[in-house]
Amino acid sequence: MRAEIIEKLRRVVGKDAVVADETELLVYECDALAIFKHKPDAVVFPETTEQVSGIVKVACEYGLPFLPRGAGTGLSGGAMAAEGGIIIEMQKMNRILKIDTENRIAIVQPGVVNLNITQTTAPLGLYYAPDPSSQQACTIGGNVAENAGGPHCLKYGMTTNHILAIEVVLANGEIVRLGNPAGESVGMDLVGTIVGSEGTFVIVTEITIRLLPKPQAVKTLLAAYHSVEACSQTVSDIIGAGIVPAALEFVDDKTIHAVEASVFKAGYPLDARAALLIELDGFQDGIEEMSTAISEICRKNQAYEVRVAKNDQERAQLWLGRKGAFGAMGRVSPDMIVMDAVIPRTRLPDVLLEVDRLSELHGLAVANVFHAGDGNLHPLILFDSRYPDQVERIHKLGEAIMRVCVDAGGALSGEHGIGIEKKEFMGLIFNDTDLDVMGDVKSVFNPTAMLNPSKIFPSRHACSEIGRSTTTSTAAIGKRVEAMLLGGSRVDH
Amino acid sequence: MRPETVAELASAIADETGAMVPMGSGTQMEFGNPLRAADCVLDLSGLSRITTYNPAELTIHVEAGATLGQIQSALAPNKQALPLDPWNGPSATIGGIAAANAQGPMRAIGGIRDWIIGMTVVHVDGRVSKTGGRVVKNVTGYDLAKLYTGSLGSLTVIAEISFKLKAQFPKTSTAIAEFQNFQDALAVLGGIRKSPLQPIACELVGGAGQANAIWIRFGEHPAAVAWQNAQLPSADWSVIEGDLESAAWERLRLQHAKLGPVVIRVVGLPSETGTMIEQFHPVSWIAHAASGIALMAFDNADRVPHIREHYPAVIERAPLEMRRSVATFGVRGTEKRLIQEMKQKFDPEARLNPGRHIDGE
Repeated sequence: MRAEIIEKLRRVVGKDAVVADETELLVYECDALAIFKHKPDAVVFPETTEQVSGIVKVACEYGLPFLPRGAGTGLSGGAMAAEGGIIIEMQKMNRILKIDTENRIAIVQPGVVNLNITQTTAPLGLYYAPDPSSQQACTIGGNVAENAGGPHCLKYGMTTNHILAIEVVLANGEIVRLGNPAGESVGMDLVGTIVGSEGTFVIVTEITIRLLPKPQAVKTLLAAYHSVEACSQTVSDIIGAGIVPAALEFVDDKTIHAVEASVFKAGYPLDARAALLIELDGFQDGIEEMSTAISEICRKNQAYEVRVAKNDQERAQLWLGRKGAFGAMGRVSPDMIVMDAVIPRTRLPDVLLEVDRLSELHGLAVANVFHAGDGNLHPLILFDSRYPDQVERIHKLGEAIMRVCVDAGGALSGEHGIGIEKKEFMGLIFNDTDLDVMGDVKSVFNPTAMLNPSKIFPSRHACSEIGRSTTTSTAAIGKRVEAMLLGGSRVDH
Repeated sequence: MRPETVAELASAIADETGAMVPMGSGTQMEFGNPLRAADCVLDLSGLSRITTYNPAELTIHVEAGATLGQIQSALAPNKQALPLDPWNGPSATIGGIAAANAQGPMRAIGGIRDWIIGMTVVHVDGRVSKTGGRVVKNVTGYDLAKLYTGSLGSLTVIAEISFKLKAQFPKTSTAIAEFQNFQDALAVLGGIRKSPLQPIACELVGGAGQANAIWIRFGEHPAAVAWQNAQLPSADWSVIEGDLESAAWERLRLQHAKLGPVVIRVVGLPSETGTMIEQFHPVSWIAHAASGIALMAFDNADRVPHIREHYPAVIERAPLEMRRSVATFGVRGTEKRLIQEMKQKFDPEARLNPGRHIDGE
């Protein structure tokens, strides 16, 4: 990057808050979707909204792409500088500005780590509901960009249901506050439109969130099955019975074996073909009856063991296995791809059978650990990148699984976002008109398309990049996407 | 025009060259800035089918002209519901409720935006587009249903909506108490806010010549409902259930219908509900006390500019003459510019409900 630009950025944020050294920049060449890499030209660490605005204005002055980044835990390449330019790293804007216990809201900066909010508000009897698996590291700003989910979104909704107001920096550097602490849209719901726009509309610099009272009682159950069909039928039956658990998670035998051999050992039964981790929460009165009703549904579906955690320690143990499942896979396979797709919940039994069939057909193992209650699948394709033929087979298997989900009436992503990973699949769900309209809305917020370019829209869909010529790097990335339709993340050892 | 399919609606819109006014049951005609032009009414009441209802999936897909009552009746045999109770009642069409972002007491547990999972809309040139899908969790593409909800038919015409559903509450009950003194009512509300209670509706009702009342409703497992009723701060509560409860809320709905002639939705914090009412002296009010949203009735719209110095405020209902002189939404600055640009992008010739939304301010 030209020294003149770096100097201007330093004038905005201070000398030490700009990284432009080629080696140091390597850290920022990808997010948790490590298969797609592109180095930014600079990484800048603002501490205030005004500094974010100043950085954006410098980017605009020199016609450079720019994008925000939180902890880089995203799984769709949303925080990757696909065309280079400036990464605006929000980790220094990490203060909880206000907690209003009586009105159950908090005002936080985007770099605050998700779990910190719950830890800070727990002594006040409150918590923040959305709990992505990366919640120990991921930032609330990234959660807003991706409309992040998590196991407990089944009962409490996604990030979008918990964001009341935001302060944002627009793509031209203007600062504007949208929404109000009541979460009541006045005029148009621009807040709701921005949440989940994957950092392609605005840069969020302050967030007012809804806090919930900590449930009086929590019950966590583990139900083990000898058959995947019986296990997934249980999910449909629980939903059909009108019971909405706080979480309803599915783990298959491959996952159980990996977890039990790892530091995340949770005591899952090793002879189970599949198991459900079910959590109920709410008022003390009535929870026992609901727990009994769920146990009955499990047993009716041939669960051979239904275990109820007796205390917080047992409960934490059961969750340790679920939350550590992705990490534990490193023990059984050197590499894996975490997929993310949604299907109608009633289609779980036949879609899982089809995934099994495809796994055999393509000769690659697939482990299943996912949010069963809302039909949000996370097939983990296990492979070894040292064998080129396996890499070749991944994308065929990945695409086949994605098509099965779409054909079942599902969606491309339940919580990871489209980013760079799945943009070429958008045509499976949306036609040109749908994409044109999305491009129109993007162009209102981001008219030059310099804010987080080359994301969400398929390469061939030119309208998302109106007003800007396609650069060589876009074309190069397009080719890589074509070549590696799905992408994935390498397990670190 | 009264199209009966989405294709007919799209073709009717494509053929029309003048200003178009989408219309459902017409329950919201006193909401919004005065129309600048109206060459053609798009009567959506013929587009009223429930296209797919999958009880095991807890989802439903409906055309925009289906009424809320029609939808709830279809869901009831499976003990499912769409947890919405807008003041304009069961005869309102679902498309109209979405377009106006119409709400009622159950705003405490969310608005229509929180239950929509997908939408099909028709654009001013007759193109049909969709956003979201038919599954309950989805981040595929931008969530444009949020943008269309509350846009009062000024961007697109909503043709179909997909919802996620809720199982009916195993039990509901409503506790009502009257207070001679406004401060006593506020003290009880303060106690409720600081308690672990989680009402599905909590209304503070009052006005000239009537007692101050708190209506608080719980919906849960019967044991949890009973526990919450027992935890209510001390007051002269009468607890009602079943038909009596439904009839009481219907009475409150009719009371809301008589508020006016001007009704302003003032948006603050739950803890500010009482202050807002004391500060602006409405003739009467119904406030969603758990949400910090107060519906205040006035004889005219003169106080609106003063209210807006302190809180966001929307004119929910007012005679045409008054809406001519005071803006409905009062959004200003960069936010207003963004909304105007959105309108320009979707409807460059201003032919969809022209002037009714922020383009009329």
